[in-house]
Amino acid sequence: MNTLNNYWLRRVLSSLLVIAVVLSLNFFLFRLMPGDPTGSLLDPRFSPEAKQELLKSYGLDKPLSQQFFMYVKQMLTFRFGISFMSQRPVWQELAERLPNTLLLLFPALLLSAVLGTLLGVAAAKGRGRLTEKAVLLSGAISFSFPSFFVQLVLLLLLAHAFPIFPLRGSLSVPPPTGFWNLLVDRAWHMALPIASLVLLGFGSWALYVRNLMVKVLGEDFILLARAKGLRENEVLWGHAFRTALPPIVTIFFLSLPGVISGAVITETVFSLHGIGKFLLDSVLGHDYPAAGAAFYLMSLVTVICNLLADVVYTFVDPRISFRRLR
Amino acid sequence: MGLALLLAVSLLLPPQGKAAPLDELRRPSIDELYFLIIRDNDAQLLALEGGQIDLLGDIARFSDIKRLSDDERVKLYLAEGYHAFFLGLNLRRSPWDRAELRQSLWEAVNRRQIVRDVFGGYALPLFSFLPPASPYTLVASTSDFNMKAARERLRQKGWRWSKRGVLICPGEDKPLPKMKLLTPTAQVAPTTAEIAERICESMRSLGIPIETEPMDFSMMVARLDRRDFDAYVIAWELSRDPDSLYAFYHSSMDVPGGYNISGIRKPDLDEALESLKYAANEAEARLAAEKVQTLLYEYIPQVPIYSRYHIAALQNEWQGAIASLYMTPDNTYSLLSLRHENKKAFYWCLAEEPRNLNPLSASSAYEWQVLSVIYESLLAVDPFTLEDVPWLAESWRLDTVSKGGKEKTRITFKIREGVKWQDGSPFGASDVKATIEFLKKSAIPRYFDSVKDVERVEAADNTLTVTFSGKSYWYLHQIGGLPMLSAGVLSSLKDWRRLPEEDIIGTGPFSFSKYKPGEYVKLDKNELYWRK
Amino acid sequence: MSFWRLDTLFLAFLSLLALLTPLLGPVNEAVAPPFCKPLWLDHESGKPLSLNAKDNSLSFTWESKPPKTFSVKGTVTFEGVPKSAALLLAGPSKTYKLVDLAGYRNFDVDIDSRDVPLKLFLGLSPFVDVSNVIFSERGAYSLFIASDVKAHLDLNLNIYTGKWGIFGTDQRGRDVFRLTLAGIRISLLVGIFATLIASTLGMGLGLFAGYLGGLADSSIMRGVDVLLAIPTLPILVVISGVWGRGLWQIVFVLSIFSWMGTARVVRSLTLSLREAPYVEGLRALGAPTGYILARHFIPEAMPLLLAQMALGVPGAILAEAGLSFLGLSDPLMPSWGRMLHEAQVFGAFTSGAWWLIFPPGLGIASICLAFISVGRRFEEMADPRLREMAER
Repeated sequence: MNTLNNYWLRRVLSSLLVIAVVLSLNFFLFRLMPGDPTGSLLDPRFSPEAKQELLKSYGLDKPLSQQFFMYVKQMLTFRFGISFMSQRPVWQELAERLPNTLLLLFPALLLSAVLGTLLGVAAAKGRGRLTEKAVLLSGAISFSFPSFFVQLVLLLLLAHAFPIFPLRGSLSVPPPTGFWNLLVDRAWHMALPIASLVLLGFGSWALYVRNLMVKVLGEDFILLARAKGLRENEVLWGHAFRTALPPIVTIFFLSLPGVISGAVITETVFSLHGIGKFLLDSVLGHDYPAAGAAFYLMSLVTVICNLLADVVYTFVDPRISFRRLR
Repeated sequence: MGLALLLAVSLLLPPQGKAAPLDELRRPSIDELYFLIIRDNDAQLLALEGGQIDLLGDIARFSDIKRLSDDERVKLYLAEGYHAFFLGLNLRRSPWDRAELRQSLWEAVNRRQIVRDVFGGYALPLFSFLPPASPYTLVASTSDFNMKAARERLRQKGWRWSKRGVLICPGEDKPLPKMKLLTPTAQVAPTTAEIAERICESMRSLGIPIETEPMDFSMMVARLDRRDFDAYVIAWELSRDPDSLYAFYHSSMDVPGGYNISGIRKPDLDEALESLKYAANEAEARLAAEKVQTLLYEYIPQVPIYSRYHIAALQNEWQGAIASLYMTPDNTYSLLSLRHENKKAFYWCLAEEPRNLNPLSASSAYEWQVLSVIYESLLAVDPFTLEDVPWLAESWRLDTVSKGGKEKTRITFKIREGVKWQDGSPFGASDVKATIEFLKKSAIPRYFDSVKDVERVEAADNTLTVTFSGKSYWYLHQIGGLPMLSAGVLSSLKDWRRLPEEDIIGTGPFSFSKYKPGEYVKLDKNELYWRK
Repeated sequence: MSFWRLDTLFLAFLSLLALLTPLLGPVNEAVAPPFCKPLWLDHESGKPLSLNAKDNSLSFTWESKPPKTFSVKGTVTFEGVPKSAALLLAGPSKTYKLVDLAGYRNFDVDIDSRDVPLKLFLGLSPFVDVSNVIFSERGAYSLFIASDVKAHLDLNLNIYTGKWGIFGTDQRGRDVFRLTLAGIRISLLVGIFATLIASTLGMGLGLFAGYLGGLADSSIMRGVDVLLAIPTLPILVVISGVWGRGLWQIVFVLSIFSWMGTARVVRSLTLSLREAPYVEGLRALGAPTGYILARHFIPEAMPLLLAQMALGVPGAILAEAGLSFLGLSDPLMPSWGRMLHEAQVFGAFTSGAWWLIFPPGLGIASICLAFISVGRRFEEMADPRLREMAER
């Protein structure tokens, strides 16, 4: 028991250390970039005094060490301050955008994972037959095409040449009233972006799962199960897939952080109001509070997901459970 | 000689909207005004063609222009603007401190070919220091693109060329060292990077060994502030008034962070700029503007390259747009006069997120597209003549008074009666006084320079008198253009940076209704609007 | 020929092309007007024309669709100062006055059909295509001066059909075909170098972490965690701000952020190998750590490493394409992602200029596919069970 508790304590402590390092890195990294937030406000009517006033209102005239302490306090208490560019509270900006990004990427991740896994299992099951070849080829193609290319072509084809789907945004203007109408409208708008992401994402899942299943199907205990006379489906799903499940789930958890940070291109192409573009714009615009908060959020999620992945693996990996018994 | 053709633009551009006197404008027939946020150029175009938006402004790509010009449902408009793109030089360094090199540079850049190749012809080659739409612009009598004359001038002043064609300064034996032209990256403005490359090519043909150095915009600004550069390109949105020339060319502005980036310091230019900035009336202003520009043509601290046309598209079904040589139909006057057979909702395309709908802190042009429909000022600009037009002020009078041995400008405004705020309360001189004093007291950066010389504001009945600490003709526009805010809202405002949505109250034809971030801003017709 | 051997041939072919591309000459120069269509696309457009007029006039015929643009440049010299003079272009049924020359003894002519002042002078809307109007008819045309004083011309008339090359030209008039070929080099360089550096780093750190254990292991693993927690895109923006944009900056950033996967895999392999009896034996015999790692572990890890590398290259190429697409790369670097960025920004998608879009897009996809299939062969070498089985 002791060793396990020690292990978790150490894991949590090291996660905290990681967060601390990332926090400090974020702070200094942005300020390393030459230029300041007033740079983008180039206007001959802004005299040097007016610029100084603006910097003062951002709190940027204080010494660096003081700024750092304010920054750490803000991050730890989740009070992120006011965005330079929009003069609105940062948490409000994040709160507006987070649902859109989650709505886009979480279903996409889920669908890619499920579709990819099913295809991977099918490929392993149909070894040497057309199924395997088809899955391998489609998986490789899915992985190789650049995302923006596929998305722009889809947009032109299915939203312009044949106007089946909307061109942009996540809702119609003005949005329809009524819960079901709203739901349908949302789904209709999200269909194309999510479909494109799934098309581009299932490939790596399919290839990985196929490799995993092939390795597992070659193990001795599978031979034993077959010798015992179990049906093929039972062997496949009941034994092989169950063994392959832990790494798959682990990878799923490790992909979760990407759900928040990975959408800049999609958001640009489909004009979605999400966090990816927000982060990019904030960094380019020297909007320290906004960029810092978004970075922090993503890092936090990554660390938590890593911990979760470890938890899952611990519960499932027989070797570690063994140690517990000793 | 080719200039004869150029000037023709201003004269031959046919009137594009009815020259309706502004008195004829009534309250809008549009009930709901939507600003649809579409950031992507392609999506904007497709939305216009699909009828999802009625008005698209700032069309820049000439593939879009060509496509729309073939579309019969849509009408295109063109206007000159206050945009000006310059090639900047660092006069503090050799070889830019040599006047003949700058004069030859003026003639070495083929502006016309740049405009043709990069904009498909949809920009104006610029030969002046003020934008084409400014009433004070003096066009140069210096010549157009002429590489031969440029080289000849240098030869006569003692310049030579090395074997590889690089210029050698008179009095030296080594050719000019390699230099860099700072430019914003193609992500910020795709055409700017193009133009910078072509300008470098022209400079290299003249014999100047220079290459572009693309960098992030705010980093470029940091380098310019530190005066650590050889040359750069930059675009400005100037204004109707020429007083911005002071910021660009007066020696007192040659401080780190100041706008005299080129570093020009000439006493006669300083004197002319001062008489421009502190001109007492229009006649003095015109004279001073002419003098300043004549000197600028001699010294050439920056080389003007081009000015963008503003191009906008409006669905034909909407009749009555107000457009002129200086304004495309995406303006507030159009909103007051546009009519449709059966539709009451108008969709305007906004190209960027208007994050900050707060007139005290909003800084981007997109935020102001929305805010200028909600808030109004004392004066407005006639879209056809660019003259001042009474708006919230019915009339005004400029005086120069002497106090304590100093000459001060005093402006008396007669405030229009019968105007109501969008929440129903009456608008009066006390609101104007409250606005001006709030802006000054809170030292709000955007309005800092507009109100910093205000000494005293007095409001009595419907008369407002503003006395300044100095004398300048431009005070009229600086005060006349301020957005009017309600005294009630200002008195209860705790932090000027955070204006709650329910306090977005102006006197304009449309009032704020809803902002769905990333999607749209909705405004409703103001039933209490003062125009009948 | 099986698909899986096609890939190595393809890559060899591409590498050859990449080596030979510099021979084609500079890629970044304009060779033709911007936005020309490919030559083979449209057969009705006629051929470009370039004529020089001396003395008084110039005659030619135009028997195809109206051209894309035309220009007239040169000088006109009069034998006195004319009171009325003009440059005219006469078609089969209409004559157009292009410019007024009265009052000048010498006139530098610089007329282009794209100029807005010309359109207004002709009484047309600024949005009209002048060459469509003037060359609307097929037949005989002539360019001449009408004046009350004798004139001498030295004019060049150029008529452009807007077609050039195999893939046309982009917004700077650069040959898209050449750019596509040049992009091979960039993709291969970025992909291979970024992955090489990342793999070396990953292998080294993974070996140390796995073999040495203890503090070294935990600090390296913490480093992995920290790097995983930082989003790549903003870091690249910051680095490009400080060091400028360039090929090697992108390679550097991509390698720094992709060694973690390899390190983890190598570390777990090392951990399992460490317990092997033969290693204990080696240690008992006094073999130094470096020897054990170099001569035993690395060869064991090699196939796995090669597989990781071959599969990492497409990742690097796609990452670079994504960054270039967002505009965060060097504008002078002819990468395929950059070509797609410029195509999108300048409206190629909506105007249907597919010849600007498909070459770079398919280029990226085909290189990635080739590397994936090569990578899979390495995977099969590392673990024979994965080999694709013959038809049952």
